Amino acid sequence: MTVPRVLVVWCPDWPVTAVGLEASTPAAVVASGRVAACSAAARAAGVRRDQRLRDAQRHCPDLVIHDRDPDAEGRLFETVAAAVSAITPWVEVVRPGVCAIPVRGAARYHGGTDRDTAEESLRIHVQDTVVERGFDCGVGIADGLFAAELAARTANGGLIVPAGGTADFLAPYPVSVLDRPELADLLPRLGIRTLGAFAALPARHVAGRFGTDEVRAHRLARGLDARPPAPRPPHTDLSVTTEFDPPAVAAEQVVFAAKTLAEHLHEALATEALTCVRIGVEVTDAHGRTQSRLWRHDGALSALAVAERVRWQLSSWETSPDEEGVGGIVSLRLLPDQLVPDEGRQEALWGQVTVSDRIMRAAARVQAMLGHQAIVRPFPVGGRGPGERVVRVPVGDLPPKPGASEGQWPGRIPDPAPAVVHPEPLPVRVTGADGAPVTVSARCVVSAPPRQIEIAGRVLPVTAWTGPWPARERWWDPARFRRRARFQVVTADGGARLLIVEGGNWYIEADYA
Amino acid sequence: MFDDCRVSELSSQVTEGFSALAGMEPIPVLPALRAIVPGGGLRPGTVTGVDGSTTLALALAAGLGDRWCAIVGLPEAHVLAATAFGGEDGGLDPTRVLLVDDPGRRWADVVAALTDGCAMVLVRPPEEPPAHVARRLTTLARRNGCALVTTGPWAGAALRLRVETNHWSGVGDGTGHLRGRRALVAVSGRGAAAPGHRVWLWLPGPDGAVAVAEHEGPARLEAVAG
Repeated sequence: MTVPRVLVVWCPDWPVTAVGLEASTPAAVVASGRVAACSAAARAAGVRRDQRLRDAQRHCPDLVIHDRDPDAEGRLFETVAAAVSAITPWVEVVRPGVCAIPVRGAARYHGGTDRDTAEESLRIHVQDTVVERGFDCGVGIADGLFAAELAARTANGGLIVPAGGTADFLAPYPVSVLDRPELADLLPRLGIRTLGAFAALPARHVAGRFGTDEVRAHRLARGLDARPPAPRPPHTDLSVTTEFDPPAVAAEQVVFAAKTLAEHLHEALATEALTCVRIGVEVTDAHGRTQSRLWRHDGALSALAVAERVRWQLSSWETSPDEEGVGGIVSLRLLPDQLVPDEGRQEALWGQVTVSDRIMRAAARVQAMLGHQAIVRPFPVGGRGPGERVVRVPVGDLPPKPGASEGQWPGRIPDPAPAVVHPEPLPVRVTGADGAPVTVSARCVVSAPPRQIEIAGRVLPVTAWTGPWPARERWWDPARFRRRARFQVVTADGGARLLIVEGGNWYIEADYA
Repeated sequence: MFDDCRVSELSSQVTEGFSALAGMEPIPVLPALRAIVPGGGLRPGTVTGVDGSTTLALALAAGLGDRWCAIVGLPEAHVLAATAFGGEDGGLDPTRVLLVDDPGRRWADVVAALTDGCAMVLVRPPEEPPAHVARRLTTLARRNGCALVTTGPWAGAALRLRVETNHWSGVGDGTGHLRGRRALVAVSGRGAAAPGHRVWLWLPGPDGAVAVAEHEGPARLEAVAG
């Protein structure tokens, strides 16, 4: 498997450029009290990214400070993306400040007898184009996006990493360039300081000890690509709008217009060989209030289905009592969202439950009343605690990949499963025969057999109990690490409960009610 | 959602509905629950009230097969509990369940929408439904072939199932784990075959299935513990 050659345009300190500050002024863009980006002059004075604002001002007293403006970043970067798309239409904006194009084809077109000179002339051409628009940039070419971005960030405006030389190029970089703070903290403590050393670890050992994200990072360090750039033709606005003059007062009028509008939208999408799995409907009334709702469907939404959803949306608006007098609809806008290539529709194979149209309609009516997230389908997945064994997916969204429930979960609570799992565990007091609270030591020793539990003032004698079942969850992640122990307790009223103790506090996790 | 002309149209259908009722297929329940549910299943449009046990409410949905079920207003219900209630026949299929955790004030509209498509709607209303709301819902449910099960107060419930006593087995003094529960279910209401009738059920048994328990009286904890 070869990694495609990618050219990356990197505009340094883009958040600073986007708010209109020059590189020569010592300036910083801040978000929630920390430096998000700083100009070259500020960096020379000792200002660093992620520094606290107070520290930055100590290093550089005449620092010009500006709030971060992500909208401006995206907007201004359109200028750069448009300039690059004059060279090749397949521009992928990785994030404001960084965009990528596939090299193949573009290099061939831009001349040169052999590959190296062709790539160099493409690189220079792209760099000149962007600099002409008044933006400083570095341009690098390498195998894969990750290496190409690092190549673009090298001194003197970027370089070309020869094909197949990515691993060697990456080797001396510190692991912090992977942009995964936990890994950057952990690996140096294990004596792994460079990408080369990280890449030298056998892949299966990395997979065995870390999560999928770390495996992705390991792939990057080895010069492989975690994800190929998805080239898009230059962005065209595919949304369609219709205005009502005079404002439409009858819902039927709007629904009828919605059907025609949806047909136009489908035609526009079909010419691009696209389909959308989600559609946004924006309705604006005469008072200028806009109500928008996202609608999703497993398959493509037909024009009729779109019109139906517009009607639901209107009816939910009219019946909600806090909206007195809509006063007529002045405009209706449909925005295709989440575009995917149109690959036809595949019926579900065996073992997959298809949602019938009737169920889908019932669910969509509930969504019209309460919103997209309000009605969910449960899917079984792997996990130890009862609450972790099910994920809830809004109707219409894609279910989790089958196979997620595979695998053994040592320490899983044995069957039967409780019928009640409290969304928030309820606090409970557990005491022994002497009335003192029961504790569990780090070595999982119970201080005394639990003899009674007290739930919201109600005291229940314990007739049978079992535990502790230790659960050390996510030990690899200090922020989410939890050491807890579970107990099953049967009380005199016949009830059975699953208790959990964490940090000396007891909770009811589930009820075998 | 309900305008007046629609309601009057529906209420005219109620009379037709009664005559059609005889020919309507009941919503199937697990064979073990036929001891407490008369007629082999729940009639569409009837309300069954379940007190004291979410497990029993889920068990009623475990015999639905490939029909759909909706659970409204019970965010704590754990559907995986009922997946093995039917023994070898399986049980509640979680992928055929729709959950509406927080319907708020519009719970009745939500239930009304879901009766069209689901064979059973399990609901806990935030308050006892007023008579006219309850009538609308049962009428819609009858027309759409849907049975309502509630764990909250509902004056017009045809059948009331109440778990009076639980005996858990499998747990000793610091040993074992919960294996099975025998529950005494009291049946009442006008839809009951013999009001006041009481049945011991495994809810579930040590094999994970719901079954009728033969012996009455407290379970022999010592024998099963371990």
